[in-house]
Amino acid sequence: MPGLFEGFFARHRRGATLITLVLTSLLCLAVANRAVVIKPKEIGLSVAGFFQKGFTGFFNWFGDTAGSIRQLREAREELTTARARLQEMDEVTREILELRRQNESLKSQLDFANSLPAERIAAEVIARDTDNLFSTLTINKGSRHGVKRGMPVVAWQGDIEGLVGKVVLVGPGTSEVLPLYDPQCMVSSRVDSTRDEGLVQGEGKDRGTLVMNYVKKIAKNKITYGDLVVTSGLGGLYPKGINIGRIRDITAPTYQTSLVLQVEPIIDFDRLEYLFLIGPEPDNPAPAAGQQTPPAAPVAK
Amino acid sequence: MAVCILLQSTILNRVAVRGVRPDLALIVLIFVSMRRGPMVGQVSGFATGFLEDLMNVSPLGFHSLLRTVIGYVYGLLSGNVFIDPFLMPIILTVIATILKGILAGIVSAVFGLAASGFITFTGRLWIEVGYNGVIAPFLFALLNLFKMFKQADKEGA
Repeated sequence: MPGLFEGFFARHRRGATLITLVLTSLLCLAVANRAVVIKPKEIGLSVAGFFQKGFTGFFNWFGDTAGSIRQLREAREELTTARARLQEMDEVTREILELRRQNESLKSQLDFANSLPAERIAAEVIARDTDNLFSTLTINKGSRHGVKRGMPVVAWQGDIEGLVGKVVLVGPGTSEVLPLYDPQCMVSSRVDSTRDEGLVQGEGKDRGTLVMNYVKKIAKNKITYGDLVVTSGLGGLYPKGINIGRIRDITAPTYQTSLVLQVEPIIDFDRLEYLFLIGPEPDNPAPAAGQQTPPAAPVAK
Repeated sequence: MAVCILLQSTILNRVAVRGVRPDLALIVLIFVSMRRGPMVGQVSGFATGFLEDLMNVSPLGFHSLLRTVIGYVYGLLSGNVFIDPFLMPIILTVIATILKGILAGIVSAVFGLAASGFITFTGRLWIEVGYNGVIAPFLFALLNLFKMFKQADKEGA
């Protein structure tokens, strides 16, 4: 009997190898798709992250060296401008201090609790997905630095803070961030000007836009193009008031009881370099990823 | 191929066209499979895909399945197709990229995966097809310089 098997494998070595490899892949896919915790993936992430850091660092070094001379010239010009702005800022600071004093006084009168700011972890984007089929970002911070799965990620671009996405996979030294435009990323949000709530979802990198659903049709006349969409804070995953994007199109399908808003992200994802991961607020621990629930769709009357 | 994957995730982002990067690992896999046959092709494809799965958020087994099949199919062509320096690398790479897109669509449909690039016949796929096609002749020419592939060619002949 063993001779029979040996003979069979000797004759069909190529086919048997193909079947073994395909079955191994399918088995891995089936197991991974059931969200079983796979340690080899985290190990692989950390090993790959080591090389990715090396590659990025090596090429950044060349780029930085070449650009340093130009940067020095620019820095001199910026210094002159900055000095002028510093004087203006001095006056603004004085005004802010006065406003802050007034604000604290009013808060204490209204008996509002002072909330401590959430911890932030700065991180650098060291790699993106190797294939064009997925759209994650790899950052240089992992569980060693306090990163946890589900942490919201923000970035600053042109003096504006915007939501980037959330952490979906954490290795010891690197992590994977799921960007906002990914269809799997959903954010409980509201239109800043009208306070109407909805759910923002990515439409894929191909389109690069977001869609906001579950906004009541009654709000159609109040919402205008260019209105800012921010996080609502509902669900507890994303803190309240983070900029998401601006409304680019408003449609009211007759077959739906809610509006469909096209939202252009405030962040240019192709220019992302540095990110900030937001930790849980001291009095509001972050829930596990995937606990975000959509707001109830408005009921037709 | 491992170096290609590292390049794809880091440096090649700088030359991305509308966020799409060329799949260097796929072109190298085609080259290796065509030179070394189906056994080396499928094993190389599996190893490369597995490494890619470890590095990405994609489910383990996704890329390894795609690349195993592509490596095997192209390995079967080994010795049966004359590879000229220009046209055949383009044709082979274009077909392989479309095949990858179709397989990705099938696997994602079967396993219910949802990711931003999974809509198979979108602009992103066609950009990748064009990008890979343009790079293929140059990469084939570069790989031809390596001694180990030259020896394999002689063995195959």
